[in-house]
Amino acid sequence: MTRYVMIADLRRCVGCQTCTAACRQMNGTPPGVQWRSVLDLESGEYPDVLRTFIPVGCQHCSHPPCMFVCPTTATRQRADGLVTIDYDLCIGCGYCIVACPYQARFKYYKPSYAYGTPIDNEIALRDARRDGVATKCTFCIDRIDAGIAAGLKPGVDPEATPACVNSCIAFALHFGDIEDPESNVSALLRENESFQMHAELGADPGFYYLWDRAAGKGEAK
Amino acid sequence: MNKMTSQAQSIPTYCYQCVAGPDLLTVRVKDGVATMVEPNFSAANVHPGGGTVCVKAYGLVQKIYNPHRILTPMKRTNPKKGRDEDPGFTPISWDEALDMVADKLKEIRGKGLVDESGYPRVAVSLGGAGIAPHYMGTFSAFLSAWRGPIDMSFGSGQGVKCYHSEHLYGELWHRAFTVCSDTPLTNYVISFGANLEASGGVCGVWRHAEARVRGMKRVQIEPHLSVTGGSSAEWVPIKPKTDAAFLHGMIHVLLFETPREALDVPFIKQMTSSPYLVAPNGFYLRDPETHKPLLWDTNQGRAVPWDTPGADPALEGSFTVSGIEIGADDEMWPHEAVACPTAFQKLLEFEAPHTPEWAAAICDAPAETIRRIAKEFLEHAEIGKTIEIEGRVLPFRPVAVVLGKTVSNGWGGYDCAWGRTLMACLVGGLDVPGGLIGTAVRLNRPARDRQGSVAPNPDGFMEYPWNPTDRVNWMARPSVRHAHSTLVPLAADSPWSQALGPTHLAWMQQREKFANWPDPTVPDIWFVYRTNPAISFWDTPNVSKTMATFPFVVAFAYTMDETNWMADVILPEATDLESLQLMRIGGTKYMEQFWDYQGFALRQPAVEKQGDTRDFTWISTELARRCGLLESYNKAINRGAAGPTLKGDTYDFSLDPSKTHSVEEIWDAVCRGASAEVSDGAETDGLEWYKEHGFKVRPYSRLKWYLFPTLEDMGLRYELPYQERLYRKGKELGNRLHERGIDWWDTQLTEYDPLPTWHNFPEMIRQGIARHYGNDAASYPFWLVTARSMQYSWGSNVGIQIMKEVADNIKGHNGVVINTGKAKEMGIEDGDLIEVRSAVRATRGHAVLRQGIRPDTLLMMGQFDHWVTPFAKDFEMPSINTIAPMLLELTDATGSGADVVPVAIKKLGGGR
Repeated sequence: MTRYVMIADLRRCVGCQTCTAACRQMNGTPPGVQWRSVLDLESGEYPDVLRTFIPVGCQHCSHPPCMFVCPTTATRQRADGLVTIDYDLCIGCGYCIVACPYQARFKYYKPSYAYGTPIDNEIALRDARRDGVATKCTFCIDRIDAGIAAGLKPGVDPEATPACVNSCIAFALHFGDIEDPESNVSALLRENESFQMHAELGADPGFYYLWDRAAGKGEAK
Repeated sequence: MNKMTSQAQSIPTYCYQCVAGPDLLTVRVKDGVATMVEPNFSAANVHPGGGTVCVKAYGLVQKIYNPHRILTPMKRTNPKKGRDEDPGFTPISWDEALDMVADKLKEIRGKGLVDESGYPRVAVSLGGAGIAPHYMGTFSAFLSAWRGPIDMSFGSGQGVKCYHSEHLYGELWHRAFTVCSDTPLTNYVISFGANLEASGGVCGVWRHAEARVRGMKRVQIEPHLSVTGGSSAEWVPIKPKTDAAFLHGMIHVLLFETPREALDVPFIKQMTSSPYLVAPNGFYLRDPETHKPLLWDTNQGRAVPWDTPGADPALEGSFTVSGIEIGADDEMWPHEAVACPTAFQKLLEFEAPHTPEWAAAICDAPAETIRRIAKEFLEHAEIGKTIEIEGRVLPFRPVAVVLGKTVSNGWGGYDCAWGRTLMACLVGGLDVPGGLIGTAVRLNRPARDRQGSVAPNPDGFMEYPWNPTDRVNWMARPSVRHAHSTLVPLAADSPWSQALGPTHLAWMQQREKFANWPDPTVPDIWFVYRTNPAISFWDTPNVSKTMATFPFVVAFAYTMDETNWMADVILPEATDLESLQLMRIGGTKYMEQFWDYQGFALRQPAVEKQGDTRDFTWISTELARRCGLLESYNKAINRGAAGPTLKGDTYDFSLDPSKTHSVEEIWDAVCRGASAEVSDGAETDGLEWYKEHGFKVRPYSRLKWYLFPTLEDMGLRYELPYQERLYRKGKELGNRLHERGIDWWDTQLTEYDPLPTWHNFPEMIRQGIARHYGNDAASYPFWLVTARSMQYSWGSNVGIQIMKEVADNIKGHNGVVINTGKAKEMGIEDGDLIEVRSAVRATRGHAVLRQGIRPDTLLMMGQFDHWVTPFAKDFEMPSINTIAPMLLELTDATGSGADVVPVAIKKLGGGR
């Protein structure tokens, strides 16, 4: 079996938003639709304050609340763990947007553009199928599938790896198969402390955060 | 296959939008349209940041297609200039535009290259701390071909937005234009506001992330919790501009609260000037015959020259000795049996009162915190340990103190640079593996070889290219308007020196007259590229008014902005992903760029140029041709003005000086020269090779990351702690200025202090402003500071939508950051509109409430307050620059000032 997961090392992340911008470009999402972004959070009171940067997006849960509420079966789960949306089936009802505990889904009725009217790169990447339906991070599913077809390994070969992971200038984002004990992500989880965001909700996210509990760095508040 | 029309392709190129680059990327192009930027995966094992590029590079695609671009040359039709004057720009042909510029240049050549005040008639301002030359093709060759003085002193933030004291004193002490920790090996870093997670570039972020995960501890000492503070192990919220006191407190701990043998005594004795004897007038005691500085040899029990073989110098104490003392202007005092303390003894006496308790009261930081951090620094220094680098055994000292902007410029900058360099010396950690190391030289030469720039002087130090201060050679008449070679001996006179002068003066003297100084004049022609001083300097409304008086302004422009609003001619250049240029990469260069390789990378057109924009090299060639300078322009390229020299012992790719060469011909020749340089003449790959492969490198020795081996081999010392040369220079400069009746630089002269006496720098700033404007200093109880934004800094990208969008995810990018508790106390809620008023004027912005800032401090990120730049003019984001006064009172001896402004605030209205 294979289950692709993403890891964000909160000891490394500096909140630069390079992943946010890389995702926007790779997936051609409209302004403001950030399938990947990084939160800038504060905890504590002056002068005992922590500032933490937390990459967020679709967690590709193994028990995805979004999928269970979808009335059209547009949201599904692949055998490799990726949670997908069939834009042709989605009716844009928005149940999934409400159900997602991670606020990872987006919907817009009309396309918008960086400067009002579309510019060449926006025209080239525009995907009209997304208008009026739910969208979210796909883990760059097309790259994964094309990469595997070409004999590449997701999370190892950049051509088969999500754009956000490739772009990260802190080497904070990682991707791979958690079911493979030899994978990069399995090793990272084995060797470091980690948590899943809102694990208590039972969705079993496919997104893990590495942190240093003793230092308090990276603690999700 | 035509790359513009084929299926998706990846085009390799470089990004140098900030000085922490260059970094390597690829551009995905489909059907002739650039769609996205990706890392250059093939450079992952070569580039110190894994082949990645930072968020700024991801704005380059929008930059191409931005509908606000200027796509054709334009000329001004309204002769009146000013913020409220519509320039009436109208499109013109390239022929007309270039002829207008060439005619003006030819007219200047006819009139004389300098004006009645002795200032160059041609002025050029380039932005971004040395970025611009790597986007302006062969324009450097054009400037070289001009063969006349060019005034580059109209700064756009140099001195107030850089690490100015670090640049100048760093170059003096250890050939370090910028300074950083040896991050791959460092285990403990004390950072005074060094916001390197925002300004250290890809390599800084990458290296520090690696270091944190392996256990490096970084303590961030700064008034607000920056993104760097956020990713540090500890934040100490220090009162603005009191960093020098904190450093003194830590030095006191090292000197008085730890056993002497816990320090690196051998290093202090052999690698610094600590044992040199200081004579009664403050200069070294010298040997009467050789004039060499003396030290006390404990083996012989007498004073001997500093380089006496076998001498074991005394570090502490005062000795009764004879010799001569040489002061300023060769004044000489013979001494017989006088008491001379060692320089280290002087240091002990100087630092004795600076206890952590003394510092705590100034810094508003607990004494125990200061004491603990100093001891942690010492514990982590691992004194005595060594490491082998490429077969050579070197000291290993994995600790460093680093300084940020504002800490490292303006009043107190000298003190901080001195304090942190001294701390490195006390543990033997200056320019050794793991320690505090320099990256590059900009003032010393050759600029590409730190080690090669080291030449010995008779006193046992590295020679330094001071601007002369002696009676014969002092440059009494400034060569350019900010007078760097007249007023700032440390600024030297390299191609970078003008950027290191007191750029305030160039602007200030246009509005106020300085006594016994040449009359202010405006340049006959002012070229502006990739810079916007109307936004990025201080007191920007007045800077705008001043530039409106310039008679002929030529702006190379991407979109309209607040500076080219005053232009007479606008020349739209092809942008980053549309044009051609080769750039050096690798070695050690700025911030945290430490490579194991060096070579060249190509920037190439990923797509066709938009509109009627032109490659900067074409523009430069045409200007040279139309000005009759083609031959000298081509010769400048042949000499290396575009990178490598085109002729070597075994190769010759020189351009025919008499011909007009195409952009591709020029860069093909440059590429071949680069290939030859990288391969010692074995390879001749040209433009097509670089277009396909992107870069060519060869190994770079890691030993060259450090200066220590060079000094050890040459038997030289760092001149620390005592600053005899600086003291002499200051005295001489004072003599020269006073001989001319110039006393308005007297406060700056006080900085030439052999040991940096603590001054209450916050009060110097507050009282200086109060005196100048005649107001009550207590009326401005807050300190307004700023911070770099990785998304914007140096990028000239404020008009790029995606930068705004992602930057807004980071707190502080859309308002004025204020302490939550303080705001509540004042009835201010998050999002409320507040007025921020300085002694000069007021601005306004929306309050951003955060716990991570001192209650007496406000923060305005980046540089905004645009009023013309499309897209950015709608940000409603205030800027410190609008309300920062530009005063001599705020200018230090190196010509810099700090971004710290006393302000008052009041609530104006409710939320957005």
